[in-house]
Amino acid sequence: MVFSFIVIPLLIAAFMPLIGKFSKKLIPDLLTNAALAFLLFNSLLLIKPIFNQGSIIQNIHWLGEKVNLQIALDGFNLFMLFTISLVSLAISLFSIDYLEHYGHKANFYALLLVMIAGMNGLVLVPDLFSIYLFLEVAAVASYALVAFGLGYDELEASFKYLMLSAVASAFTLLSITIIFGMTGSLSFQAVSQGLQDLSARYVIGVCMAFFIMGFGLKAALVPFHAWLPDAHPSAPAPISAMLSGLLIKVSGIYALFRIVYSVIGMSPVLSQVLMALGTISMVVAALLACGQKDIKRMLAYSSISQVGYIVLGLAVGTPLGIAGGLFHLFNHAVAKGLLFLNSGSIQHITGTRNLEELGGLGKRVPLTAGTNLVGSLSIAGVPPLAGFWSKLIIIMALIQAKQFGYALIAILASILTLWYYLLIQRKAFFGQINEKWLNIKEAPFWMSAANVILALVCILVGIFYSPVFKAWISPAAEALARGIQQVMMWGI
Amino acid sequence: MILQIMLLCGLVIFAGLAILAKDLLKAALSLAVASLFLGIIFFRLSAPYAGVFEISVVAGLITVLFALTIALTRKDGEVKEARLVKIAFPLFFILFLIIDGLVMKSLLQKVPSLPAGPEGGTFGEVLWKQRTFDLVAQIGVILAGVLAVLALFRKKEEDKDE
Repeated sequence: MVFSFIVIPLLIAAFMPLIGKFSKKLIPDLLTNAALAFLLFNSLLLIKPIFNQGSIIQNIHWLGEKVNLQIALDGFNLFMLFTISLVSLAISLFSIDYLEHYGHKANFYALLLVMIAGMNGLVLVPDLFSIYLFLEVAAVASYALVAFGLGYDELEASFKYLMLSAVASAFTLLSITIIFGMTGSLSFQAVSQGLQDLSARYVIGVCMAFFIMGFGLKAALVPFHAWLPDAHPSAPAPISAMLSGLLIKVSGIYALFRIVYSVIGMSPVLSQVLMALGTISMVVAALLACGQKDIKRMLAYSSISQVGYIVLGLAVGTPLGIAGGLFHLFNHAVAKGLLFLNSGSIQHITGTRNLEELGGLGKRVPLTAGTNLVGSLSIAGVPPLAGFWSKLIIIMALIQAKQFGYALIAILASILTLWYYLLIQRKAFFGQINEKWLNIKEAPFWMSAANVILALVCILVGIFYSPVFKAWISPAAEALARGIQQVMMWGI
Repeated sequence: MILQIMLLCGLVIFAGLAILAKDLLKAALSLAVASLFLGIIFFRLSAPYAGVFEISVVAGLITVLFALTIALTRKDGEVKEARLVKIAFPLFFILFLIIDGLVMKSLLQKVPSLPAGPEGGTFGEVLWKQRTFDLVAQIGVILAGVLAVLALFRKKEEDKDE
């Protein structure tokens, strides 16, 4: 059952080009959305077993013989799987109408499904080298998806992304190689045990530095962020949503913190380094976002800034900090997915993303304006939307850990975030309507439906934050925190 | 030891040439020579399978593919590089080598030697019985690559007529 998260998208992707020969739109649309809806349903079904057992380890048997396909599922993975399934389903619903002008839906869906399979695989494997491999599966698909429009900008952004991502993968692989050289093993548990038996703290320090460089590049933390403001705006809107909402979190943050908490172990120095990186990203990217005129570019900088918040929360190392970081990860995935899809709607409606050219759209397209407002306010941390609670928990965790300076910076960066999101809202939707936009119509049904679904998630999670937090986020945070107890604290 | 250093130097020089060479064919051939050096290093480090794959696939097959592609493409697509890039890359490369030499030498002595880990066995056993999941992921990588080629080298207006 758990394997279906990897196998189903891969299988459908493999047959999609063939299916595309017979039906160019209907069957690819139906099949992709049905598969992703099934995965979402599947992740909901797994909640109960995880609650009862704590974690599931599954092995596959092939013709009566055990094959070494092992998958480990705990609260943290399940939380990530649910987030991936939910956001990718909304994105694929949005693509039904959005991709009409791109064409080649079968190719697009096939790559999207491979990317989802890669992310699901990365989340599920309990092994360092497998993490690297699934990281590459998702990355190779994402390079092609960024360049999907085949324009000059798309190809340039994709090439830049490819180059920097290859550097990131090289650092990650180097670190994995050194760890394998020291411990002779690759599985999380064996490596963690092996590292405890060795006294090689300097080498582990170097490995950790490589991991931070590699995964920091994937997560686009400042100063490793140069590729993201080019790659994310150039991609088609659903892919921007996928990259900003999910990929940077799965291949950057999930992988980094899974290794930090379950393999190497958090130490005070490491915590300080990661918190500093998170804070720098949060502030620098928020300042850079303020000066942007392209909506998608502004959103891309905002992603870097919000990733900073998530890293700050997770790096505090206290259970409350981890829970806050994970909660913000979910909220940001939903809200940023929504905002990128919305930017796609705006581009579809008006043909431009330039804030200077827009204005007064709210009167003509109230649904897009409304969902955009919900997403913006959620990310900016305005109550009672979901983003408010996660930011509040991160700040509370910082205060609890006596990191008052970081808490203050987090509050100030949040105000900055609110400012530039209101700027988008004011320039695009409020004010006098530009004459050019007098005859525009609301986005097509599926595009609006996807936006409304994600906006509802932002609102409902905000209103029912207490049961969501207790039932969903806390078990995930506990699973991560258990990892901390399992591994030794290294005095790096 | 001297042979090892010579092999490593050859690897670094030809890998650098592959990046710096302006002629694409020369760059592809430099890459092939670099991977040949790497293959020999793999053999000497008792990793014959890695060596065979490196030499046959990277030095052999991929070079042929590169050479074919270069032969099939037109000549007029020359890209002019900024002067800064020409100076910056070799400088950065030399700096990296110096830092690498200084840091890794002291660091390597602190790396404990490889213990006889639980993941031993013949090549076939390791690949099919212990690292089965990697095969699934590799199928994923290959599939992603094939689909990327299909998507990026498509005919532009093919399916808008439905």
